[in-house]
Amino acid sequence: MVLWRTVRAVPGWILALALGLVLLVLPWAGLDFSASRQIQLTLILALVVSGLNLSLGYAGELALGQAAMYASGAYIAGLLSKAGHTDILVQLLVAGLGALAVGVVTGIPGLRLGSWSLAMTSFFLVLLVPDVLAIFPRATGGRNGLSGIQSPTLFGTLLDGTGFYLVISVVAILWFAVLRNIVTSRHGIALRVLKQSPVLAASTGISVFRMKLLAYALGAIPAGLAGALFANLDLYVSPEAFSFTFATTVLSASILGGSASVYGALVGAAVMQFGPNQSSGFQQYALVFTGVFLVVGGVLLTGGLARVCRVLVTRLDRMAQPEVNTVATGTGPAPNIPPYKGATLRIRDVSKAFGGNQALKDVSLEALPGTVTALIGPNGSGKTTLLNMVCGFYRTDSGEITLDGAPLHGLTSDGVARAGVARTFQTPNIPAGVTVLEAVASGRYTGHRTSVLAAVLRTPRFRRVRHEDLREAERMLALVGLDHLRDTEAVSLPLGMRRLLEVARALIDAPGVLLLDEAASGLDEHEVERLASLIRQIRDAGGTVVLVEHNFRLVLALADDIAVLAHGQLITTGPPEAIERDPRVLSEYLGVDPAPTAAHTSTDRMTGAATSGENT
Amino acid sequence: MTLIWGGLALGAVYALVAVCYNIVFISSKTFNFAQAQLIMVGAFVAYTGLVTWKLSVPLVMLLAVASVMALAAIEERLAVRPVKDPHNILVTTLGVSILLNGATQLVWGTQPLNVPFFGGNDVLELFGGQIYPVEIALVLVAVVLVWALTRLSRRFLVGLALLGMSEDREAAMLRGVNVRRLAFGAFAFSGAVAGLLGMFVGPKTFAVATLGASLALKGFVVLAIGGFGSMPGTLVGGLVVGLAEALAARYLGGEYANITVFVILITILLVRPAGLFVRVRERTV
Repeated sequence: MVLWRTVRAVPGWILALALGLVLLVLPWAGLDFSASRQIQLTLILALVVSGLNLSLGYAGELALGQAAMYASGAYIAGLLSKAGHTDILVQLLVAGLGALAVGVVTGIPGLRLGSWSLAMTSFFLVLLVPDVLAIFPRATGGRNGLSGIQSPTLFGTLLDGTGFYLVISVVAILWFAVLRNIVTSRHGIALRVLKQSPVLAASTGISVFRMKLLAYALGAIPAGLAGALFANLDLYVSPEAFSFTFATTVLSASILGGSASVYGALVGAAVMQFGPNQSSGFQQYALVFTGVFLVVGGVLLTGGLARVCRVLVTRLDRMAQPEVNTVATGTGPAPNIPPYKGATLRIRDVSKAFGGNQALKDVSLEALPGTVTALIGPNGSGKTTLLNMVCGFYRTDSGEITLDGAPLHGLTSDGVARAGVARTFQTPNIPAGVTVLEAVASGRYTGHRTSVLAAVLRTPRFRRVRHEDLREAERMLALVGLDHLRDTEAVSLPLGMRRLLEVARALIDAPGVLLLDEAASGLDEHEVERLASLIRQIRDAGGTVVLVEHNFRLVLALADDIAVLAHGQLITTGPPEAIERDPRVLSEYLGVDPAPTAAHTSTDRMTGAATSGENT
Repeated sequence: MTLIWGGLALGAVYALVAVCYNIVFISSKTFNFAQAQLIMVGAFVAYTGLVTWKLSVPLVMLLAVASVMALAAIEERLAVRPVKDPHNILVTTLGVSILLNGATQLVWGTQPLNVPFFGGNDVLELFGGQIYPVEIALVLVAVVLVWALTRLSRRFLVGLALLGMSEDREAAMLRGVNVRRLAFGAFAFSGAVAGLLGMFVGPKTFAVATLGASLALKGFVVLAIGGFGSMPGTLVGGLVVGLAEALAARYLGGEYANITVFVILITILLVRPAGLFVRVRERTV
């Protein structure tokens, strides 16, 4: 176990680097020709698979188009070579860019709908490859394939077999380093947020479409590189190499290795290359085998071999960990929220109809900095609809919504989030596969930008932003009392803690307006208390809080202003003392008709009853 | 005119694939990648029944319907129901489609097989063009099937339950609809329809193992044009795709047929992502 702890103390990338070095010295360790060729083909396949992983594993979109991008890379490199540009670096650059262009152009229409649209358009793309080639038979050799590619050179010197082996290895190592840097950065977490739920992504200010396109287009680059390498390996390219069978091999390798992992692509590619692709007697059954494999893999192997490894590592970690008896609960003095400037949210005469159902009618509301505005009303009264309109998930039929005078209506939901509206959800929405700390830090994704390139190169700016991300997230966790759980997997938390985590995520970037959608439901007494004191702190710091809540007692205790909705209309607004005694509120919201004589006592009793009723 | 008839019949084939997609889509909001392969198997079974075994037409029809329905039922049980992550259904049904491709190649080989049409193979003259009886039959079957399914969904309790289920699965469950059984039933039913269609599609396109992929894609394009879940939309979509493909192949050259359809698909997805016949629904949290 001590051994295991020592192993774990080594950062993961060291192991990967070591593997890379082994790969580089293999030619001098007596590697024979056929093994060398298999390794080169595995690396080429792994590059394509890792491109698919970006879109399938991280952005959650099945795309089969990698085969087409691979083909474009191969043909670009082949044609360049025939035109006399044999330098492998030039070919790699042009092929990568060409594949990127194909990815962007074909990704845009499919990604607008997502899911099967992308799967189908990209599938279609693969079947189009031979047709496109047939249109230019002179240049591409049509269905006969492209021959006459010259041997690759590097800086003017001809590459021999070993030299080309090294080129492939270096390209693969560099790409995996790039991928690893992207995936472990805030962009990788943003992709997981997107995979979890587009609604969540939009509410943290991530543009769903652009993020998906980013993943899909980035995934095209390694496919293009792989194509260029492949063309130079055999010095011959035929359309058959890019058939649908190849696309399914890539998919199988991705699922086998684990789509949501960096090095899973390598493992999956190795298994497919040394397994099914190897024996020619197997060819006949290859389709059947692949089909069965995809079914079994899809049903049983969620997460692939990478997941199996991860589970194993976690188990060993737990065994190796010295027993901790006392779990430190975060009851220490919570830090204060530094004063910040909230924004004024103004809703004026907003109406919304769904078909014949008038969900909201001429609702006006104002939430000021340094106050808590509560929105209450029975189920179906339009509270959530109003919230969704503020967040840009619904369009307003009429009326306007402004934040510090700037209109929010008409913005996309991610635009609203970037304008400074943060929210929590009725059902906590937390991405899988990230720690509590990362989940909270994801709230800063759009507020503090760094480019993907910066993440790849780990520039000083990127390091600074990441450092701030983590520091701020730790501060937020301390604030909500979850700091002792920072490295736990976020989705494994119980409901109450997940709600507090959402509040922390929403609060991390000092939002102009914080919308809490039934944040207290499902919390136990202590957690409600914690939440209440947190909300008071936010208010005292100058933030604007809008609270949609059923817990009437909590609302009375917290709110400065209460707006009561019923049947899509605002029936009254006012301070808690007034609302508590408003006869219309009592009849609409609490369902009682207070007798004029014993108004006070019966109200108290009914309020209590209603509150406990709502809590169950 | 011959060209138009050919295009129409082709469009009818694609529309029929799309109808099958829709049956499954309406019932369980899933997309069965292997649907076109099921039709392909139907065509192969029809070939075996009619040519190899020389059975009578009703018997072959029964055989095709029963065998493909069984296949679809098995697919639902093994490759759709146990999948926990809905994203993975795309992967597993794609797996089934590849599996069926491979299996048909093993059983029937890779050469195209000519499935005879039971309505005769004599060329007819219609409005100055030549047309095969099977082409008339295809167009008729497509129209009748769409009409019947639309009626079924409006008039009968099963249809209403299906529509309710597609609207809100949980609400349907609470109203006493056995959602799982209904989804299974719809899946098996789509298989039965696919088996029957094999009898009609086979004579037009030949029974060949590569049929599945091209049918699957064109069927999808039809769906994208008509709108997911829209039955009348499939007829319009089929019309557009069939004619476009036939005209492009005739006037631009064979290699442009698929590209033209692809361009149509891209255009539709860019201009009207939800299709021509489905309203865009607003998103909810």
